[in-house]
Amino acid sequence: MRTFFPSLLVWIVTTIAVFAAEVHPPSQMSAGVSFSMPSSGGGQGTLYLIGPAHLSKRQVNLGTDIEVDGDEVERVGRYTVILCTDQCSASEFYVHPAGPDRLSLLVHPSRVPVSNPNAISAVAVVWDVYHNLELSPETVKFTVNPDEHTSLSEARTTNNGIAWIRLTSAAKSGVVKLQASVGKVSEIRVVQQVASDACNLRIRASSASKKITVETDPVRDCSGNFVPDGTVVSFTMTDSAGKTTVDVPIKRGVAKVEMPAHGRARITAASGVVTGNELDMGGGE
Amino acid sequence: MKKTIMRRVLLTLTTAVMIFAPASFVIVRADDSLPKVSLNADNLGPRSIEELTSKVITRDYAFAWQTMVEALEQNRPDLLDGYFTGTAKQDLTQRIADQKKTDVRVRYLDHGHKLDAIFYSPAGDAMQLRDHANLEVNVMDGQKVIHSEQVNLQYIVLMTPGADRWLVRDLEVAPEAKP
Repeated sequence: MRTFFPSLLVWIVTTIAVFAAEVHPPSQMSAGVSFSMPSSGGGQGTLYLIGPAHLSKRQVNLGTDIEVDGDEVERVGRYTVILCTDQCSASEFYVHPAGPDRLSLLVHPSRVPVSNPNAISAVAVVWDVYHNLELSPETVKFTVNPDEHTSLSEARTTNNGIAWIRLTSAAKSGVVKLQASVGKVSEIRVVQQVASDACNLRIRASSASKKITVETDPVRDCSGNFVPDGTVVSFTMTDSAGKTTVDVPIKRGVAKVEMPAHGRARITAASGVVTGNELDMGGGE
Repeated sequence: MKKTIMRRVLLTLTTAVMIFAPASFVIVRADDSLPKVSLNADNLGPRSIEELTSKVITRDYAFAWQTMVEALEQNRPDLLDGYFTGTAKQDLTQRIADQKKTDVRVRYLDHGHKLDAIFYSPAGDAMQLRDHANLEVNVMDGQKVIHSEQVNLQYIVLMTPGADRWLVRDLEVAPEAKP
């Protein structure tokens, strides 16, 4: 008799545990797809569905298929299903991305000097329609259109949803379009290729009524592209009064300055690391 | 007479503050303890990571988890503002809204994270990491724990730099072997 009641208690607990209501979700499924989970037991229970961006609680009829709407499983990751009657039982499933549908394209920089090796980088991140990272390998095609008639392409396979490429800027300044595409989805970014540093800086001067006017030839880089307006040219004049330096931004391709003259003067110009020719005024060039 | 009473009240209050202030300081410090986060950047590319960046990533990811756990525990989406952005913030905000609606809460006990940095963009504007997290998860309906489990989860994390810190932009659990 002493051992009968404890044994009975153990049997009851074991029986309840064995017949506790359970729900059996699929082990994995695709994001945004509705599905049903068979459940065991009888009567009513409380179902909890917990995912990365979702948490719901509802009453369900046990022993029937429990429906889960697609909008409850839009985010990828691990979902926990808990079914409670007198006791609770839990199971889990994974939701996978729904397939590539969106691209994020990061291109740097937006302005780049011409003929600069590996100066442009493009990173493409592949997402599904619910903005889940598409982790399975996908082929991303990077296409560069330096002009209307030319197109260069290179394919890269994504690793954990990301593909990237490095590009050398063209020799000619102007706008270049960089496109990344996966399947039917594509994104375009525009990079402005600008002239590099000035090359072969040349100046000329004329004097009139105690003033010297110094002007550059049109300032170009070594590929022949005009250096952008606003680039500073420094003019330095050395005469009997001392040394004078004036910084002048390029306007319409040239930099121009007027300086007071005190007899014989030597004039030089520089832009960035480039120095131009030297002029000797008062005694001729 | 009134002055004497006031003095005594003030003295009592001051004494009480002196006694209890250190205790409350200890409690605050205990709440502020960060989860353990280690970073392995041996296989990182194409950009190599600077020493300072690796320290900042580790620190900010730890803060992100600390604030996430607190936000879910206290149903406070405002706590996510500091270290989350983009879809990661949207997801957690939605989950907190669902928690409020159902009175069900998910409580995490964070036992640490091993981060593998796997991608650092050439321009330094995005970093992808794989996090091997060790967590204890408790699901509570009201005050009742309805489910408890110890899990090793693998997260794929996308972080981007903000003004003075790195922010978690995307946080997804990938299938992994069980503990």
